[in-house]
Amino acid sequence: MIPTLTTERLTLRGPDARDIPFLRDFYASDRSKFVGGPKTAEDAWRQLATEIGHWTLCGYGRWIVEADGVQVGLIGLWNPEGWPEPEIGWDLFDGAEGKGYATEAARAARDYAYGTLGWSTAISLVAPGNDGSARVAERLGAVKETEFDHAKFGPLTIYRHPAPEAL
Amino acid sequence: MGHRDIPVLETGRLILRGPEPEDYPNFKATFTSYRARFMGGPLNPYETWMLYAAEIGHWEIRGFGMWMIHDRVTDETLGMAGGWQPAVWPEREIAWIIWPEKAGKGYALEATNAARQFFYDEQGWDGAVSYIDPKNLDSIRLAERLGAKIDKAAKSIDGHDVVYRHPTAAELKDSQIADGIALEIGHYQDPLFKPKGWAID
Repeated sequence: MIPTLTTERLTLRGPDARDIPFLRDFYASDRSKFVGGPKTAEDAWRQLATEIGHWTLCGYGRWIVEADGVQVGLIGLWNPEGWPEPEIGWDLFDGAEGKGYATEAARAARDYAYGTLGWSTAISLVAPGNDGSARVAERLGAVKETEFDHAKFGPLTIYRHPAPEAL
Repeated sequence: MGHRDIPVLETGRLILRGPEPEDYPNFKATFTSYRARFMGGPLNPYETWMLYAAEIGHWEIRGFGMWMIHDRVTDETLGMAGGWQPAVWPEREIAWIIWPEKAGKGYALEATNAARQFFYDEQGWDGAVSYIDPKNLDSIRLAERLGAKIDKAAKSIDGHDVVYRHPTAAELKDSQIADGIALEIGHYQDPLFKPKGWAID
């Protein structure tokens, strides 16, 4: 079972079939250009299936984030093959930006990684030009560390989060 | 964790279970190889991992999916078989892939026959198709051994594949084709003729 997390304004729950239209719209839009998109409807569907399977393969993954019962993003822990190390990642759906949702949900995901999973460190990867994402990383106290070159995504900046004992 | 309980199917030589994390290296070996050329491959390691995770998530979203085929004695994996229908797939597909070094022993026939029967008996499917690359002669041959026939009127995925339509549950019940499949699987399980050495031709 995928655990459900709650914050002041948000619920983080496991992805499921209800989320198909939200991923389809997100990956069809320009908003997805920093995270592997745009994608076709079929590939967005496969991405949702991958998000679910990630939980089985790693024991953790990304949650669908809901605000007032509506899906606003896909945020959590991400570590597919070839990733430099386990990551805290955030994608916000159209219309959900500017409210601090990514920071609030990512903080809950980080607390879960440190508190429940026992991670001793965490990174976040930010694509060049994705200034909104970089600001979220900075608000979370993460600092620019180095560059990473991914076979599919190209160069990405690695932000390092504060260690558990620093929080 | 995270996905619904995937049923376990047993046949004479095989156990079909949901894809498990420890089976990934075998999946990767095949999907990064030329063997995967008819399944969108060869894939790079990142794409392969994403697809393997999607095989698991497919079960959660659709309630059916692809099983990992295990040898019931050794538990080693032999390939995958089951149902497949990502978004925009026109119909539910019955699909299979056997690791290259395990081909030629009738495993795909035995596994796919069990999967199809499960979908018909337990999940109420009244039919299914298989989308096959016209150059994939091994799979075309398997589709025909399963009693599937080309359906030229059916919508294909993208025009590059041929649609084979499986016999319906009613057509399969007590049919000559069902008997033929059982007979062929039986011969693989317990060959009547066991040659010593290799054929010289």
